[in-house]
Amino acid sequence: MATPAIEFLAVTKTYRKPLGGQLIPALSDVSFSVLPGEVCAFLGPNGAGKTTSISILMGFLRADSGEIRVLDFAPGDVRAKQHIGFLPENFAFYKYLTASKLMKFHAALAGVKAPVADRLVPELLNQVKLSGYEKLKIAKYSCGMVQRLGIAQALLGDPQLLILDEPTSGLDPAGRKDVRDLILSLKRAGKTIFLSSHILSEVEQICDRVVIVDRGRLLRTGTVDELLTAGDRVEVLTNLLPETLEPNLAEWGAIFERDAHGVRISIPVAYKRQLAETLWAEGSDVISITPVRSSLEDLFLKVVGGGQPS
Amino acid sequence: MKIVTIALNTFSSFLRDKLIILFGILFACVVLLMMTSLLGMKALNSGANAHQMQSYVLSFVAAIMSLVSGCGSLLAAWAAADTVASEMKSGTILAVMARPVHRWEFLAGKFLGVMLLMAVYVAMMFALSYLLAWMGGETIQASPWVLLVYPLVRYAIYGAMAMLLVTVIHPVLAFAAVMAISVAANVVDPAQHYSNMFWTWVRNVLYVVLPSTALLSEEKFLVITHATLKKTSWIEHLTVIAYGLDYALVCLLLAMWSFHSRTLKRD
Repeated sequence: MATPAIEFLAVTKTYRKPLGGQLIPALSDVSFSVLPGEVCAFLGPNGAGKTTSISILMGFLRADSGEIRVLDFAPGDVRAKQHIGFLPENFAFYKYLTASKLMKFHAALAGVKAPVADRLVPELLNQVKLSGYEKLKIAKYSCGMVQRLGIAQALLGDPQLLILDEPTSGLDPAGRKDVRDLILSLKRAGKTIFLSSHILSEVEQICDRVVIVDRGRLLRTGTVDELLTAGDRVEVLTNLLPETLEPNLAEWGAIFERDAHGVRISIPVAYKRQLAETLWAEGSDVISITPVRSSLEDLFLKVVGGGQPS
Repeated sequence: MKIVTIALNTFSSFLRDKLIILFGILFACVVLLMMTSLLGMKALNSGANAHQMQSYVLSFVAAIMSLVSGCGSLLAAWAAADTVASEMKSGTILAVMARPVHRWEFLAGKFLGVMLLMAVYVAMMFALSYLLAWMGGETIQASPWVLLVYPLVRYAIYGAMAMLLVTVIHPVLAFAAVMAISVAANVVDPAQHYSNMFWTWVRNVLYVVLPSTALLSEEKFLVITHATLKKTSWIEHLTVIAYGLDYALVCLLLAMWSFHSRTLKRD
């Protein structure tokens, strides 16, 4: 098995209010891992511990206990950071610089040689649709443009691992689609991407793995397929639904829909066998029984108890 | 190379800093005002003998330079405290520290940026001292390098101290602490005797711990005339400069050590 790109093992972090005040647990025994080449979504409501976790991954903050490895190095190790592209939440910038100068500044810090940076910077700015705005001071950029610039700087130096905190924040629908397409193209290129986002429908489309945290505790982790197919409903497809069965279905919490192929009945897993036997007894054919794949949003709301993702 | 990149960016940010621009404007106003005073003094003392006039002018130049030099200390301490704190406040430090940059490299780059600013300031001070002496019809007898190196080393101490303090406290407090330390360092006079043993002990400890920036004052060289020209040996110069650089280096290393374990977040 490949060495995980990110490994979080029993990580605990507690903040202490100034002057020896109250202890605030931020992370309690959180464990998850992200394999190379995976796109992993890091989800949780406000105050769940996402930013704390990302800060620990980047070496900005130290965990109280637990083991953390990033590209098989300790967090903050320069050798790991050489292969990491990072987009902080609400990307901050030097207002007096132009996009081109900011990119060249970051390229120099990333160890990209000046001639390479001269070629690479316009390419990346073009990739995030900022061509033509290179000479404009960043202070005059809109929120969306700043976010695009943040993504472009994260891509400098051809990083192996991208850590993106709210990459679509501040973007319009077209911009969000561009970022989604960009992430998919990076995924195809074999990059590992760890992102936090509150747009769950988008996350579901691009992610392989999901980590859900709330109040510093890990609630769920697994591949999208594992988590979304492990729903509590099944869909039964039958050729015929006798009218006499309809009151029973309502009682079992079933939802049904008639179409050209027959009747699709969505029912809680607990009534699956009972429904199938009843249908057979009534002379109907059960064509298929398939688990209902829930949406990531449904799963999220279910596990965090209706809290709002952020 | 990364240190130089951070230093140049820091210097560039200083040139756009509103507070530093305001400082520059005030500096220019003070200089113009002083020039007027100098010319006025020269006109009033036109009947005095040459030696007296030379002494007046050089003393006046030394007084002006003392003021300008003091402002430089404020600038060095503020620039060093603010440059690190503003990165934390704005959050720009997060994107920078996500790059393959060691924390000590970041701080070294910031310090180098401050020293670039102070080098420009010292060059302006140097030009001003010669301009004032020329306007007074006199020449400065001290070697030019003394007027450049001494203040720069002194500002390195203030900058490094401010950088050390800002890794643990608010920049305004760090700035105030550096100013308090510099005043206390000048007050602690080893020649003065106290009857109380405790105060003698406190004074001795403070004299060792606090930076003796008075040793690095270039003003004493500005007032030297032909008649009183004192030859300072290279050993004396080197000892004083080595003391200053050593003090600054210790502060900078302590700052790097303190910054190494500091939590990086948007303040």
